[in-house]
Amino acid sequence: MLILAIETTGKYASAALISEDGRFEVAESFEQMNHLKEIMSLIDESLSKMGAGKGDITHVAASAGPGSFTGIRIGVTTARTLGQMLEIPCVCVSSLEGMAKRAFDYAEANGCRYICPIINARRHQTYAYIAELSPDMKHYVEEKQYMIEEIIELLMSAGEKVLFTGDGIDAYESIIREKMPEELFVLAPEEIRYQSAKEVAELALEKVLSEDVCTYEELMPEYMRLSEAEMRLKEGTLSRKISEANV
Amino acid sequence: MLNGKHITLGIETSCDETAVGIVADGREMLANVISSQIDIHTEFGGVVPEIASRRHLENINSVIDMALDEAGITIDEVDLIGVTYGPGLVGALLIGVAAAKAISFAKDIPLVGVNHMHGHIAANYIEHPELEPPFMGLVVSGGHTNIINVKSYNTCEKLGSTRDDAAGEAFDKVARVIGLGYPGGPKVDKAAKNGDKDAVVFKRVYLEQGSYDFSFSGLKTAALNYINTERQAGRDINVNDVAAGFQEAIVEVLVDKAVGAALEFDQKRIVMAGGVASNSRLRELISERAGEHGIEICAPSPVLCTDNGVMIACSAYYAYQAGERSGLDLDADPSLEF
Repeated sequence: MLILAIETTGKYASAALISEDGRFEVAESFEQMNHLKEIMSLIDESLSKMGAGKGDITHVAASAGPGSFTGIRIGVTTARTLGQMLEIPCVCVSSLEGMAKRAFDYAEANGCRYICPIINARRHQTYAYIAELSPDMKHYVEEKQYMIEEIIELLMSAGEKVLFTGDGIDAYESIIREKMPEELFVLAPEEIRYQSAKEVAELALEKVLSEDVCTYEELMPEYMRLSEAEMRLKEGTLSRKISEANV
Repeated sequence: MLNGKHITLGIETSCDETAVGIVADGREMLANVISSQIDIHTEFGGVVPEIASRRHLENINSVIDMALDEAGITIDEVDLIGVTYGPGLVGALLIGVAAAKAISFAKDIPLVGVNHMHGHIAANYIEHPELEPPFMGLVVSGGHTNIINVKSYNTCEKLGSTRDDAAGEAFDKVARVIGLGYPGGPKVDKAAKNGDKDAVVFKRVYLEQGSYDFSFSGLKTAALNYINTERQAGRDINVNDVAAGFQEAIVEVLVDKAVGAALEFDQKRIVMAGGVASNSRLRELISERAGEHGIEICAPSPVLCTDNGVMIACSAYYAYQAGERSGLDLDADPSLEF
């Protein structure tokens, strides 16, 4: 078994390979938002590091979101097409769960009860969830779109120490500091703050072992949000704004 | 290879069509699958980039399968992958580029990135087997308006382009202003057939002397002003006449400049491409004017005028023959120049 994992939902693109015994290799980019250009080369690099060929890959996993819409599409399209062409199953992994896993050890070392990955969705919005610091990383609240104030409120009422991780820190650190007492939170350091394919590969391995795989056609993005035009159509405020903006 | 012929698969996702085409030896069309999103975007009155990108992702893999089925081949018989990498909507382009690179990598098939505009011109090679460069190209679509001096299969020089709205964009905008809806091109063309092109006259914009550039943004304002003035005066507006007058203002400028360029550069042929090349009045007037100078007109049938994968496959084939290759680091370039 050799699982290829792709992570392009955040700032940095990465690819990883993991075998059944947990042996892994990661290839990471240090350039921001250069995913389309780099992802196939990163996949190639991870294969060389592993001493494997593309014919050895048995599953392809993608971090399907939430995150940058563009990044999500690059990773999911790449994974779907590799699945189609190599005729192998796909695995769908949550970017937020990967981020929580990446911060697990740091959270434990800092005596946290919860991990809260937050992805910046602009205008006080985040894609987030709260994981309990237990071996199965149980969801304390579900993965969805929250206002940063809303997620802070949930954590305040839980009343125990939390580790924040993700690029939501870069955007909302001042709000967190203003609204939460210092002893109630820790911020993940930059080295473990952003998405990486390593944890996507680890989560994918767990999923493959429990037979939670899908076909390439079933591997779909998890945007967690409608496009702006669809939202406006739903609200009935579409017609004038969009058509006028286009004129 | 299939029966000794070189097989190219072309992928096009630069705007709102998810399209895959397959050609043999560069010119023989084996498959042309186009999954149009027009119904979705009609609801929004124009192409919404985020929605287009989402739909491309959902469609691309099955469109590839459908094209292979239509051609009666498997991916293992494909010798070359061509893909549009610009110009276009970045979110839309990257779906095609990501898929093309994944196929190239997984199946060890060479890859060539194609300029969408080169592709439009190449659409003509499919239906006109005798056509060879050099010739003058007129590429007119919803995103582009260009006069191109095509010197060989892989070298061409842009003589002029629009400074603001593309011709097709002007059709869409004016269609919306006069209540014809989206997509504007075909709707204006149809309405204009029942109108008088001389009843409402719009100014022709030629810009400075000798320029092959275009400017169409003023036409929308002119149409709006006309409608407001008529309404204020309590007069009825004849939509067909407005459509015909507006269409004539665009078409005449396109024709004058294209024919002028062919004469200046001594080309005996004008090759049209892009969605607006289907416009019936454009075809009529350019044939008439070019004919006066013994210049021949060439245009693809409507299905190859709009965005398709066949034209990308054809263009990729000729680039490949000339030694072009793209690596796994191919990126989308939304503002790619000629």
